[in-house]
Amino acid sequence: MQAAKPAKIKFTADHWKAYGLLIPSLIIFILFMFWPFMYTIYLSFFDWNMVKPTKEFVGLQNYKEVLTDPTTYKVFGNTLLYIGLLLIINLIIPYILAFVLDIVLKRFNHLYKGAIFLPSVISLVVGSILFTWLLNPVSGPAAIILGWFGIDMPIWSKLDGWVIVVLSLITSWKVFGYNFIVLYASVNGISREVIEAARLDGVPLWKIFFHLVLPMSSATGIYVFIITIVQGLQYVFTPIKVITQGGPNYASSNAIYHAYHEAFVLYRTGHSAALSILTMAIFILLLILEFKFVERGIHYEN
Amino acid sequence: MKEIRFEHVYKSYGKTEVVTDLNLTIQKGERLILLGPSGCGKSTTLRMIAGLEDVSSGAIYMDQQKVNHLPSGKRNVAMVFQNYALYPHMNVIDNITYGLRVQKVPADEIKRRTEAALDMLQLKEYKDRLPKDLSGGQRQRVALARAVVKQGDYFLLDEPLSNLDAQLRVSARKELVKIHEMYKQTLVYVTHDQVEAMTVADRIALMYKGKLQMVDTPDNVYHRPANIFTATFIGSPPMNVFNVDVQPDSIRFTSQTLKLSPEWSQHIQQTGEKDLAFGIRPEHIDLSKIPTPNSLKGHIKFVENHGNHYGVYMDIEGNEWIAMSESKRWLPHETVYIKPRADKIHMFNQQTTDSIGYPKSLNNGE
Amino acid sequence: MKTNRSVSIPWHMIFIGIIIILTFPIIFAVGISFKPLEDAYNNALNFIPTQPTLENYETFFNSLNVVKIVSNTFIIATTVTLFKVFTSFLAAYAFVFFDFKGKNMLYFLLISTIFIPFSVTMIPNYLMISDLGLADSVWGVILPQLADAVGILLLRQSMKTIPISLIEVARLDNLGHPRIMKNIVLPLVKPAVTSTGIWFFILSWNEYVWPVLILKTVDHYTLPLALQMYISSEGGTNFTVAMAVAVITMIIPLTLYLLFQKYIIGTFASSGIK
Repeated sequence: MQAAKPAKIKFTADHWKAYGLLIPSLIIFILFMFWPFMYTIYLSFFDWNMVKPTKEFVGLQNYKEVLTDPTTYKVFGNTLLYIGLLLIINLIIPYILAFVLDIVLKRFNHLYKGAIFLPSVISLVVGSILFTWLLNPVSGPAAIILGWFGIDMPIWSKLDGWVIVVLSLITSWKVFGYNFIVLYASVNGISREVIEAARLDGVPLWKIFFHLVLPMSSATGIYVFIITIVQGLQYVFTPIKVITQGGPNYASSNAIYHAYHEAFVLYRTGHSAALSILTMAIFILLLILEFKFVERGIHYEN
Repeated sequence: MKEIRFEHVYKSYGKTEVVTDLNLTIQKGERLILLGPSGCGKSTTLRMIAGLEDVSSGAIYMDQQKVNHLPSGKRNVAMVFQNYALYPHMNVIDNITYGLRVQKVPADEIKRRTEAALDMLQLKEYKDRLPKDLSGGQRQRVALARAVVKQGDYFLLDEPLSNLDAQLRVSARKELVKIHEMYKQTLVYVTHDQVEAMTVADRIALMYKGKLQMVDTPDNVYHRPANIFTATFIGSPPMNVFNVDVQPDSIRFTSQTLKLSPEWSQHIQQTGEKDLAFGIRPEHIDLSKIPTPNSLKGHIKFVENHGNHYGVYMDIEGNEWIAMSESKRWLPHETVYIKPRADKIHMFNQQTTDSIGYPKSLNNGE
Repeated sequence: MKTNRSVSIPWHMIFIGIIIILTFPIIFAVGISFKPLEDAYNNALNFIPTQPTLENYETFFNSLNVVKIVSNTFIIATTVTLFKVFTSFLAAYAFVFFDFKGKNMLYFLLISTIFIPFSVTMIPNYLMISDLGLADSVWGVILPQLADAVGILLLRQSMKTIPISLIEVARLDNLGHPRIMKNIVLPLVKPAVTSTGIWFFILSWNEYVWPVLILKTVDHYTLPLALQMYISSEGGTNFTVAMAVAVITMIIPLTLYLLFQKYIIGTFASSGIK
């Protein structure tokens, strides 16, 4: 039996056909992903308003302006706050819950997974509208219930900090379920024998989580970490656009919304492009750091 | 029903060479078994015939035509895979006929061939079932039927019986031989199981580490092994092989000597070989509790019960020998005298490990 | 191994609490959408319609060309889904069953598109769609979305489970790639194709960020854009109508999800495991 040998060459002689099969996807990606990426880099060196027939080359001027603008720092600070909140709500909590459901509870897991995933199929515009009413600080249900306890609902859409918390919660309503089932599947994929052996040895649950489950599911953990940051920030765009338009005074704007705002509200494509490129650079840096930091763990899975 | 020829075929994956300088002719209509341990290159060889693997260098000829670049589908090859490779979403009849329908074989011809195959392999009553509803043996027969109806010139089998249990394997291999006797395609069969090889083969091609070791009939592979690898791979328990010093009419182990028959002494003298390895199969050793002329002295280490005989493991001057005996009177720690039968011995060159041949008078010994 | 009840019961309570938080807004919206505005406003905590009415839905149908908007949404979601599944299927097939130069590099490149933020590509794409004269049209929304890295990833995952010998048997029967794809691979990865397709449909149905850039005329709007018109930061004077639009927007995705829940969860669970 030679099953272990990699079946390296699958079809003889016609490997070139693979390129043909990839062409449709490649065309779309090149046209609408890679080329625009390059073009945005190009635009970041020009002063333009999307309408003028000529673009004026300004070198690094856009970057200088963006980096000296206090709004940029406010927006990047907001972005960090969003990232922190999104990671707590959509990585740490579902990770623990996936562990608890799979290792500790075991029962009702289909029911729980099904119900928890449900909001993931609903539009964030719907989510935004539902929560704007539910959390309406004057007459919404949440305000009334808080009123019974003599607590005044903060007028969150007008308050720095609060507005980010609420928009993060609305976004999490959609993201949580997807992250949860992905993490659950990964925890569920860990060999039962390993966990049972540890339990027979009387290892406490929290140690099982940190010493066995976390390292053995770390590849998925990293995937969810990245997706939460990259896609989470894009998801937040919707409630920002629908509910606050970045306000009050940029208090709820994040890097992606701000780039949109610069381009399509203020028509400063150069600023927008420079912001996007900076954001992308920070993302890439973050991803590289994270890969370096947890690289050890990746090999355990599968 | 045509011949397959390998000429200086090499196959490598990156830097690892899996088949080295293979020269082999598979005659038309014969059953050739490619035998060898895991990773010896036998499956790769089979897959090169099927066109599922490229040839790195050298040439393969099928029916006198060079096929290195001929796509699989044009080689008229039927193949049975180890995991049977049945289409899980098609029932038995669709699995068997799918290839024929694609090839646009006329419907009545498909029907004729299929019914013959279903009959022969007793699959009639299962023809509407999906593979998942069949037993391992039935799946194997479906895979066989699918290959048979193709009526290709070449019939390739990659460990076709290794997923069956021992009893089924015996009946399945009889069935296989029966089918081949009917259709007489050129059949190449890969296995690591020597019993399968001995029972099915017209000829066995033994491979080891990518190199062809010996190609011959099962009898010759067993009784006239071409080298030490062949001698020890075939037969269970394996042949005893030890280096010896050659003296004019005897051979010396560490300190004891064994007198050779006149034929063997003469043969060794004629070949002029000096550093030899001596080989004897366990079933060709006579045991005795008392000293007998021309025997070696040792003691018994342990005895294995094989049902119809006993495997007796002995220590003779620090070497482990195995003999087979029908008697159960051999006990551990006892002294034993062993006597290899003079006409059953084998001699190999220590360096090349090749056999030095056999005395003329013994050449048709079996 | 048994788990102590004193441990499990509080955790079950936590799960039930989370499920209530997650699903309650949906139930609430459905209830309110059948209530008159005044009732909803005065009895904010009671979401059960005591005097059920369709007036919110009527208001929506009377104020906008709803049929047009729903059909826009449907055309976009269907076209995008069909193309994405098709292009992803071809690409996944190439990645699984072929060995070619640059395979790993290309795969990495395609998958990396998942991590490119929207803001990086929005200006050039907007300009390109405008230059093509597709601004303010459903085709402008559709065009950049005809391929998807997530689809390639999911279908590749699924195709990798097919034993290579099945394909080899087909090759020995002289089957070409189109036949192998259609008659062997497709039937075997049907569950993954179905759930990926449903997922794309739902995503596209809910899509907001890109259509809001491209679509300007209300008649060209999709449902999420129409819904957005009913939002005002003050909570709105017509929030019961907004709830009705919300219900219409989410009814298709929810139905699809409830019908194909097992497929979808199974496929997505595997998406994180590389």
